[in-house]
Amino acid sequence: MRAERLLIGLGKALAVAAILFWSLFPILFIAMSSLKPGQDIFAVPPKWLFTPTFKHYAELWRSWGVFFEGLLNSLLITVGATLLAIVASACAGYVYSRNSGRWLGASLLGLIVVRLIPPIVVTLPLFPIVNWLGLSDTHLVLILLYATFFVSLGTVLMRTFMDQIPRELDEAAAMDGASRLTILRKVIAPLAMPGMLAVAVFVIVFSWNEFLFAFIFTATKAKTAPLVISEMIGSIDGVDWGILFAAATVQLVPVLLFVVFMNRYLVAGLTAGSTKG
Amino acid sequence: MSNKPETKLTRRAFSAGVAAALAIGPARAAGKTLNVLSHKVHQTVLGSGDGDLMAGWRKANDAEIAFATFDSNPLQDRLFREASLKETEYGVGYLIDNRPTSQIAALFEPLGPYQDKDAIEDFGDIAPGLVQGMTVDGKLIGIPVRHATQGLFYNEALLEEAGITAPPATLEELIEQAKKTTFTAKAGTPVTGMVLASDLAVFPVMFARAYGGDFISPDLKLVPNREALEQGLSALRGMFEAGSLPRSYATTKNDDQVTWLQQGRAAFTVLPFARGAQLNNAEQSKFPGKIKAVPFPGSKAIEGKMPMASVVEAWAMAIPKNAKDKALAWSFIKEVSSKRVTLGMALNGNGPVRVSTYADEKLKAGNALAAVEAKVLATARGAFPPFPEAARAQATFLEEVQLAVLGRKPVKDAVSAIIERVKPMMPA
Repeated sequence: MRAERLLIGLGKALAVAAILFWSLFPILFIAMSSLKPGQDIFAVPPKWLFTPTFKHYAELWRSWGVFFEGLLNSLLITVGATLLAIVASACAGYVYSRNSGRWLGASLLGLIVVRLIPPIVVTLPLFPIVNWLGLSDTHLVLILLYATFFVSLGTVLMRTFMDQIPRELDEAAAMDGASRLTILRKVIAPLAMPGMLAVAVFVIVFSWNEFLFAFIFTATKAKTAPLVISEMIGSIDGVDWGILFAAATVQLVPVLLFVVFMNRYLVAGLTAGSTKG
Repeated sequence: MSNKPETKLTRRAFSAGVAAALAIGPARAAGKTLNVLSHKVHQTVLGSGDGDLMAGWRKANDAEIAFATFDSNPLQDRLFREASLKETEYGVGYLIDNRPTSQIAALFEPLGPYQDKDAIEDFGDIAPGLVQGMTVDGKLIGIPVRHATQGLFYNEALLEEAGITAPPATLEELIEQAKKTTFTAKAGTPVTGMVLASDLAVFPVMFARAYGGDFISPDLKLVPNREALEQGLSALRGMFEAGSLPRSYATTKNDDQVTWLQQGRAAFTVLPFARGAQLNNAEQSKFPGKIKAVPFPGSKAIEGKMPMASVVEAWAMAIPKNAKDKALAWSFIKEVSSKRVTLGMALNGNGPVRVSTYADEKLKAGNALAAVEAKVLATARGAFPPFPEAARAQATFLEEVQLAVLGRKPVKDAVSAIIERVKPMMPA
């Protein structure tokens, strides 16, 4: 019996180790390669022991200043899109949570259907419209697009969170003369904060890494970091792998730390409403 | 609590919010700005700071140059999309020579009238073959600015180790030397004679040309010499069978060619001459100074009958028809095409399009491959001419080439399939 338990435990540990290796190896490979001397990155056999060097990071700073501008643009756009998506999702989620009706139900289904459309389908027809509006190569266009893309999922999430907040609280506030907006702002929003954070996690991860919209709608002023990284994989003058891995590490670390830090909200978002009823 | 709602969204507050949101977008720079769509390398070779080759032009025109840079294919995609709009912010776009079909060429200004009115310095000095590549339906739509001509790179140290004293002068010698250099080097590294990417038409086309054939000739004849293409593919198949092409041939990419040469995992490859600097970069390569280049050799069969036509890819500067300030764009093109800037860019690693640039002593001193490259360029031409279905034709060609090289299909059948499948894609 004891041997059997030991075997099961060992099996579980091996499975976890395999999953960890599968998930972490690519990240470790990128981070380690960014610290390896250029000659050793693709050495055969691979070199696992080496003296770390930061020269790829120094070179990245020296020759790819545009990457750091891209990071700043990514940050601005991510923050803007997240705030907008949270506000819009919270408002819409509140409406869907507190009201019902055939048309409202249909519109919620519509939101989900819209989310299923592949982004490339809407991207190309949008190009001339965005240009005509004078929004091409602005931060605003990406903020609007990223937020729009996530409002549907955010709304569904927020509705599920808000469904768990007793309606009696709304009624009590209303009896005290609070408007709908005040109820949402002062009563519902603080209680729905975990839901908002869950939405934020999704939008932040998406906005920070997104490539397609940024590629189509930006050029210089609002160019994001993933776009600059794609340029480093140049087809003309070759790839400097050390610099590329350094940039990938810099791009990866903030969002990785953020996801680790916000892990419980991410889980809360994914499991919202799963125990309802 | 009063009955009055506490929070009101007034029109003024809403307008302020919208204005604030719009302000997130950066303010447009004041003054004259020429927006240029290019690859980063085009911007880099123009220099910066004290070495800015365009400093005089900026001052004379009171203009700034704003480069929007993308990698090659995304760049072409963006350029054509911008040129299709009613109006574009971009004055100049960098165009690859195998892209402009008649439809695409129609999106760009014919530059003949500009040249007649305000000519580029010594225009006849620009390689006529490259100018021809940018002439569509009789109209010049781009001024050549850069070329990448393919050469045969070899690792001198590995050749010596295999007892080879000189690089190959014929294709037969190359095949033999690739076999000899498929060995385990003294350092313990397993070496494959030659590494080639399988997703580019350049390489099978070079092998076909080595026997006097082609995939599609400049006058749009599909497989003009069937026997030569069969010989070229048979040579590749033989190398794969002998192990002198990597086992991973089907998934080998262009970047692998560079890293394999740098690491001493392959003795030969075919790359643009401009890659010589990267291959010998002491920071990245285990064989700095040991990776050299020669012209890709033709077969003994064509010796003295015809020159080996290497593959060249050229870039040109074009003005979208919907650009706002075309005069400023032409002024930029004129300056970049001048002898001074062409030489400056060449010293910064650009493949110069002017014949006279290769004669410059500074270039000869700084670039050991300049003389070889100039010689190869004289007879080089594009991998295939542009036509609307070129991308699909290339994909089909590569599919059949891979089947033949990997031994999944007899070479003769693969060539028959290329002819049969690509024929409907050819322009009438």
